[in-house]
Amino acid sequence: MNIITGLLVASIRMSTPLMLGALGEVFVERTGVMNIAIEGIFLMGAWGGFVGAYLTGKLWVGFLFAIMVGVFCGAVYGYFTIKLKQHHIVTGVAINILTLGLGLFLYQLLFGIPLLPLTVEPLEDISIPFLSDIPIIGSALFSQNILTYLTAVLIILGYWVLFRTPLGLIIRSTGENPEAVDAAGINVERIRFLAVLGSSALDGLAGAFYSIGFLGLYTNDIIRGRGWIAFAICFLGNWNPLGILIGSLIFGLAEGLSVVLLTSNFKLIPNEFLIALPYILTIVATIARRRFNVPAFLGKPYIKEHS
Amino acid sequence: MEKINNLINKTDSRIKQSLISQDDDVWLNFLPVFSVLLGLLMSGLMMLFLGYNPLIVYSNMLNYAFRDIYNIADIFAKATPLILTGLAFGFAFRASLFNIGAQGQFYMGAVMAVACALKLGSFPSYLTLMICFIMSLTGGSLWAAFIGYVKARFNANEFLVSMMLTYVAIAIMNFLLGGLLKEAKGEYPQTDVIPRSGWLPSLIPHTRLHWGFVVALLIALLAYIILWRTSLGYKIRMVGYNRDAARYAGINVEKIFVIVFFISGAFAGIAGFTEVNGMQHMLIEGFNPMIGAEGIGIAILGNAHPLGIVLSALLFGALKVGGNLVVQTSRIPASIIGITEGFVILSVILSYFIRDKLIVLRNKKKLIVQEEHRL
Amino acid sequence: MTLHPILNTIMNNKADSIVLKNITKYFPGTIANDHIDLTLVSGEVLALFGENGAGKTTLMSILYGLYQPDEGEIFIKGERVKIRSPHDAMEYGIGMIHQHFTLVPVHTVVENIILGTEKAYLKHLDIKKKVKKIKEIGKRYGLEVDPYTIIQQLPVGIQQRVEILKALYRNAQILIMDEPTSVLTPQETEKLFNFIHDFKAKGHSVIFISHKLNEVMEIADRIVVLRDGKIVSNVLRQEASEGQLTHMMIGRDLVIPKTNSSIHPKSEMLKIKNLTIMGDKQNKAIDDLSFTVREGEIFGVTGVSGNGQEELAQALCGLRKVKNGQIALSDKDITNKDVLSIIHQGIGYIPADRHKEGLVLDMSIEENLFLKNHSNPMFLHYGFLNQNKIQENARNLMRDFEIKAASSKSRVMTLSGGNQQKVAVAREVNIGTKLLVAVQPTRGLDLGAVDYVHKTLLKEKKEGKAILLISTELSEIMTLSDRIGVMYRGRLLKIIQRKDAKVDEIGLLMAGITEGKRNGKN
Repeated sequence: MNIITGLLVASIRMSTPLMLGALGEVFVERTGVMNIAIEGIFLMGAWGGFVGAYLTGKLWVGFLFAIMVGVFCGAVYGYFTIKLKQHHIVTGVAINILTLGLGLFLYQLLFGIPLLPLTVEPLEDISIPFLSDIPIIGSALFSQNILTYLTAVLIILGYWVLFRTPLGLIIRSTGENPEAVDAAGINVERIRFLAVLGSSALDGLAGAFYSIGFLGLYTNDIIRGRGWIAFAICFLGNWNPLGILIGSLIFGLAEGLSVVLLTSNFKLIPNEFLIALPYILTIVATIARRRFNVPAFLGKPYIKEHS
Repeated sequence: MEKINNLINKTDSRIKQSLISQDDDVWLNFLPVFSVLLGLLMSGLMMLFLGYNPLIVYSNMLNYAFRDIYNIADIFAKATPLILTGLAFGFAFRASLFNIGAQGQFYMGAVMAVACALKLGSFPSYLTLMICFIMSLTGGSLWAAFIGYVKARFNANEFLVSMMLTYVAIAIMNFLLGGLLKEAKGEYPQTDVIPRSGWLPSLIPHTRLHWGFVVALLIALLAYIILWRTSLGYKIRMVGYNRDAARYAGINVEKIFVIVFFISGAFAGIAGFTEVNGMQHMLIEGFNPMIGAEGIGIAILGNAHPLGIVLSALLFGALKVGGNLVVQTSRIPASIIGITEGFVILSVILSYFIRDKLIVLRNKKKLIVQEEHRL
Repeated sequence: MTLHPILNTIMNNKADSIVLKNITKYFPGTIANDHIDLTLVSGEVLALFGENGAGKTTLMSILYGLYQPDEGEIFIKGERVKIRSPHDAMEYGIGMIHQHFTLVPVHTVVENIILGTEKAYLKHLDIKKKVKKIKEIGKRYGLEVDPYTIIQQLPVGIQQRVEILKALYRNAQILIMDEPTSVLTPQETEKLFNFIHDFKAKGHSVIFISHKLNEVMEIADRIVVLRDGKIVSNVLRQEASEGQLTHMMIGRDLVIPKTNSSIHPKSEMLKIKNLTIMGDKQNKAIDDLSFTVREGEIFGVTGVSGNGQEELAQALCGLRKVKNGQIALSDKDITNKDVLSIIHQGIGYIPADRHKEGLVLDMSIEENLFLKNHSNPMFLHYGFLNQNKIQENARNLMRDFEIKAASSKSRVMTLSGGNQQKVAVAREVNIGTKLLVAVQPTRGLDLGAVDYVHKTLLKEKKEGKAILLISTELSEIMTLSDRIGVMYRGRLLKIIQRKDAKVDEIGLLMAGITEGKRNGKN
């Protein structure tokens, strides 16, 4: 029974950053923009989180700084793709290459090359008194770190904003028919740019989870494609915060499974296969999913015919 | 003699015609140079942050890179796989397709190459090399063709699929390195050194430059010929420029998707061959982790044209060689090289934007002149 | 002139009047609006009449804030205003119903109507309250809709209602309607006209953009005719006549050019029999269609766009599957064959959207002229392109069709619109040895280029080719066709010989009003 609880705890924990990244991606893609720089922003968030936390000794400063770093990167990406109308993929790839070098560079800039990796004390779990004693699922759901609780709140908030407020209506309409939004007198570019900033903020936060929320250190390959998985979850969750919730949990489970099986001595399935499981899952789901609810104008820059 | 005259005349008229077809925006083609300089400028700023004088750093880089024959040869050796992964992205780009998975295709090609080299140790060299070449080509091309197929058949998002396939390829490679292909000693996740028969002969003695460079150049030439001299290449370019018009012209666009990814993956797979058989002579876990991404950058810098790609790859090669030496002899962190590459690519994108704006501006001017003539 | 009484009214400060003064707008290569002066009073229906591309939509887009004028000013109630966006226009009480609806297909009626009307972005949306208000407005103006339905499930006529409700919800006093009846059935059109009468009676105004003569004559109080960006006529309806208006719209009398003599019709080349084609929305785009095109004749298919012409053209090309029926070319069945085979059969296709379907702008002229020959062994040498043949082909075609360019290697992007169309025409005429299908071949071209295309089509007809011309431009159809078929909702209502063709009748047929209905109407 312990294994199952351990698995559930790990799954929900690992699904947290995926959920954050996917939620941000939902909002931005609902306006018609793909945030391809997601992987790079995760990394910069991880860096920013670590730097902020290490230099001030306070974790919350780290998280705050990570968000700021994320927003900055998002601003660059948004500027290139929305204002300059350059190609999403080319720009995103460029930023991802850049951040890979930049993350390490800035880390070494500040700390040199230490013999042993620098560490901070990662987030502690906060157990909600009564509820966390529920057998099996209790600790999984109610004995998590604060970021996980925050993420759960954000998902609900995200759902509410997207489907129950005027802003959400505007966001959804922008991705489905930017002309309609334009005709209603709303600045399409501004909405999109703000969405990019918002999603990048969440991406930065998600990245910081890996460095100061979970591992307590920073290395250059700390993200290892998880940004892309969040990207895929947005897609597979049908651009709906509740779908994201389920998708992230599934992928969190896959990751949790690989962690648990790795640390135990279950050598039945090769380690590498477990590690590759989330990625294979993504491919299968990408193929099987007939693009159901794709925002009609996803990826197409909004160019007014004339001005 | 007459043949030579004819050739000269043909070339002459071709140059004239190419100049005409550029329609006086030849000078705009120098924008890549501008972007390289801008990129260098930006990482120069980074160096200043560290307290280094960028001018000294850059001049050192140049000096070191061209210091002796070994280093110069190294530039070409380092450029070899970059040419190929650059061609991989660039070739697909011509069809408006995005092969982000070159890294994975590279690894698959490398795995095939090293497996063949290890198993065929007793074969004569030319045979071993040929088989390694063919198998690496096959590994990369099939790995990529899968992407093309799911895009054609299911309209799957090729970006996501190629991204994920890379991670799967890494997993497969690591799995093999941990077991089947593992070195005899069993200590590290790497293979044994491959037998001599699988070594690509050296191009310049006492350097690391190997015949793989020639292979890369030939592939670049092949890419050029396919794209601009064959019916297939014509169809590919058309699909890239205007998919609707291509359909109206009776081209099977879905079939082109698969073919393009196949060829693109083949190029990346061959890069695996050149690295394994020419440079490393073995397979180590996590080697050349950026070769795919750098290929993308090089393709963008080289404007997705084989000649541009070759030149850009050489540039990046020089950057690496000179940069590595500077890093060794001073205390600049090694990541400066990666950052310079990143900034250069961003500047290229910026330069595209500037070029587009300039063209629009010029067209507007033309119109105003036209209007004035009318009135 | 008849303008004076209205000027007097303005001098007397009649409320809600709009004055456009000296409005000018340039687009790459053309003047869309050429120093236009226009006045609108309240309680009036003003019709903007003219052919496609005359500048009507552009002018109204300026009034609605979608475009900014390069010169000129706008006055509302005597005050000079700047309308920088639809937002400003709506503040002044101006609403616009576009030709292409600006609706979000997957959202409900309510969601579309209230988009952007709430100032408090993050407050909970009380949908029920909005629904109540919408129902009220609907009742007041006779435009009832179920607010909870999803747009894409509604018929087009009801969707238009939603567009109108959008404007009314925002308190529009003046409604600009851009070709509103182009997608309506006659009954829906009648309902729309009732609404307009009603709206006018309440003291509001409507600007009605149309190129359909009969409607303009029915609904308008005043008619303004635009041609080539200029106002050429401004008359009260009582003083206007149909002939005069048509003359003003086209710029000349519809005279059949001497060059278009009917040659004795030969054998049937294209035979369409009982063709049924399904559209994208599970509807019957083409419904049991039959007609033939003979060698040496131009068969003109006309009708309001959206009545199946596009689907028909796609099927002839090989790009759309046919559900039932048969397409035969010189007695050979080519139904549902793939695009390449159809090209090889000798069918040329001049597309409506040459930039999208016909030309590759980034490629050179010779590469474009070679476009459909990519698998033609005559141009290939074991898979390699035979550059000489390609160049030779280009040289010949450029000479025969007078394509003006620096060299055959110039990129098509650099050519003028007219020359670009020449490239497409040249190639297709060359390929279309048996049949030429021309869809809107002169869209967006200047007069000289239009003339050239027409001359080319007539020349090909003389040489015995069968030509199918699909166009919404009445003047073009009447000038070129030997026989005219009017299409309405996927069917051919009538086939008329050129000598029997009358603009009135065709206009009515295009609106679906056949002989029987017409007699009952007027």
